[in-house]
Amino acid sequence: MKYIEYVNGLIKEAVARPEHAVLFGQNMNAGSCLGGLTRGFSVKPAGKIWNSTNAENSLVGFGFGLMLNGAQAGFFMKQMDFLVLGIDHLVNTYNIIRNMKHQPKEGSFTIAAMVVDSGWEGPQSSLNNFADICSIAHVPGYAVTNKTDADFIVRKHLMQPGFRILGISQRLGKTEIIDPGSALEVYGAGEIFKYKSGEDATLVSFNFSFPQAYELEAKLRKSNIHAAFFNVNSAIATDWTPIKESAKMTKKIIVVDDSKSVHVAADALLAELCTEVPLVKKIFIKRQLGENWLHPASDEFVIDDSLLDTLKG
Amino acid sequence: MKKFDQKAAEQMLYLRLGQIFINEESKAGKFKIPMHLAMGHEAIAVAVSDALASEDKLVLSHRNLAYNLVRAGKVRPILDEYLLKSTGLAKAKLGSMNLINPERNVIYTSSILGNNFSVSSGIAMAEKVRGLSGVTFVLGGDGSMEEGSFYESLTMMKTLGLRIVVIIENNEWSLATKISERRCPIDLRKLTSALDISYESLFGNDVEKYIKKISEARERALKNGPICIEVALTTLGDSRGPQTPEYPEGKYINYHAGPSSSVDIARHALRAVLKESDEDPIFVLREKMGKAKLSELAERIFKQIQRELV
Repeated sequence: MKYIEYVNGLIKEAVARPEHAVLFGQNMNAGSCLGGLTRGFSVKPAGKIWNSTNAENSLVGFGFGLMLNGAQAGFFMKQMDFLVLGIDHLVNTYNIIRNMKHQPKEGSFTIAAMVVDSGWEGPQSSLNNFADICSIAHVPGYAVTNKTDADFIVRKHLMQPGFRILGISQRLGKTEIIDPGSALEVYGAGEIFKYKSGEDATLVSFNFSFPQAYELEAKLRKSNIHAAFFNVNSAIATDWTPIKESAKMTKKIIVVDDSKSVHVAADALLAELCTEVPLVKKIFIKRQLGENWLHPASDEFVIDDSLLDTLKG
Repeated sequence: MKKFDQKAAEQMLYLRLGQIFINEESKAGKFKIPMHLAMGHEAIAVAVSDALASEDKLVLSHRNLAYNLVRAGKVRPILDEYLLKSTGLAKAKLGSMNLINPERNVIYTSSILGNNFSVSSGIAMAEKVRGLSGVTFVLGGDGSMEEGSFYESLTMMKTLGLRIVVIIENNEWSLATKISERRCPIDLRKLTSALDISYESLFGNDVEKYIKKISEARERALKNGPICIEVALTTLGDSRGPQTPEYPEGKYINYHAGPSSSVDIARHALRAVLKESDEDPIFVLREKMGKAKLSELAERIFKQIQRELV
């Protein structure tokens, strides 16, 4: 099954449950239904699905208002860069609400945004770092990258009390969803997933680089290098304990992050590892921006196989 | 005056004198937080408070003091909030510009211009899908209606048929600039008409008239969806900017924020009137009540607040 079909199925199931769900977004229930993300949604009779106006700033405020007054809101967004227009609410409105003495008990608000990480949109594709949006006000955000984390994250968070953003990858949309099997551990509320244990290296992927890291882990294993493999799904994870514990043992760290921003989520982990863990090998695989980084392009993120030799050496 | 009007008069004076007391604390430099007085806003604040049914929601802006005072009915918890004491209305967690009082219907307040229009739309939508019967009142000013979110939210309110009363307090000023200094005129009647939203204009600071009009607006919002009311008012407590070659006597600035140096408790407390014109709601009240009755009532309320603050 394709990534977008699988995620759509999970979301469809979650939004049908609440009594007072209000689902909205531009063309969410028309045309391609946001590339299939929102196809076939239904809500209980009291709820509403709204093909909304083109007003991203106000739609974010609208969602917070729904949450504040006890409804369950879902804002579905074709491209995460549109969310830049709603930053006032992500910072100010969310801060005001979470600072209130009495938090809205039943109220819920989820923004599900497609992260433009495919590159074909040119200038808009420069914002492919999900963490950029979340870090501005410590907004809980979870990147959906494979079958296992999708099952956990969508079921645990969507339409539940409180606020969060779910990051959906545009690049992965039409690819077969990866099923890495059950996670060995899920830390926190889905901040970090551990998929493999290993004593030879510690491999950690960020943003939407799970597929590349997943492939790398398999290649390493074939080369008899057994890496502990973690994926960081939360954009604002701060408790790196499980990864640090692994790195203390392996002394080799490989970090993969496909984000294009100057500051990426992996920086925080690397800063802690470099100061707290004695490492014999540190490999940070990140995007190299060429001169044409603002032009429409495939935006492929490929890990060079020569890395294997580096690790063997 | 009739009994009901007596209550409105008492509330108006309580708001005015309460703010004069708060201003004294501000002049003494006791607030670390930013603070915006709303002297001159008393008539509309009392009218909105009077119109609120128990299930209604009130959504405010940074200049929320008159509304929070009339809803709380007490100066002390608001003053304590401004002083960041644990006995404050929000236990010193919100300060002035985001102050709420959910037990008295004030469920959201934003310091960001235009931010609260869309939030109030969501609140009104939740009211609808949850089968509740409340009307949402949202306050903004002539500055906030310049924000794109004002237009976006009006479109949303009309499209979704939300039971909402939008009140624009037009005091002509945004910080230190008048409307004519910063933009072209905006004809709110025409703007709302283009969206097929009802519009009312209020001016003159007659609290009885305002009470009637706001109450009617609530009924109309219940039946027909959003309505926009533009209230012409003057925020009292003028000041002058620094002297410059362009403004040798300092530029005249309508009161914006912080202490008002032109308002003084010794001079103004017992007479309560700050300006001898209908720009001052207490002047309008005095014209109706008579000087003697107003003075008598002002003295009683002054002592009441004094006792409250001891």
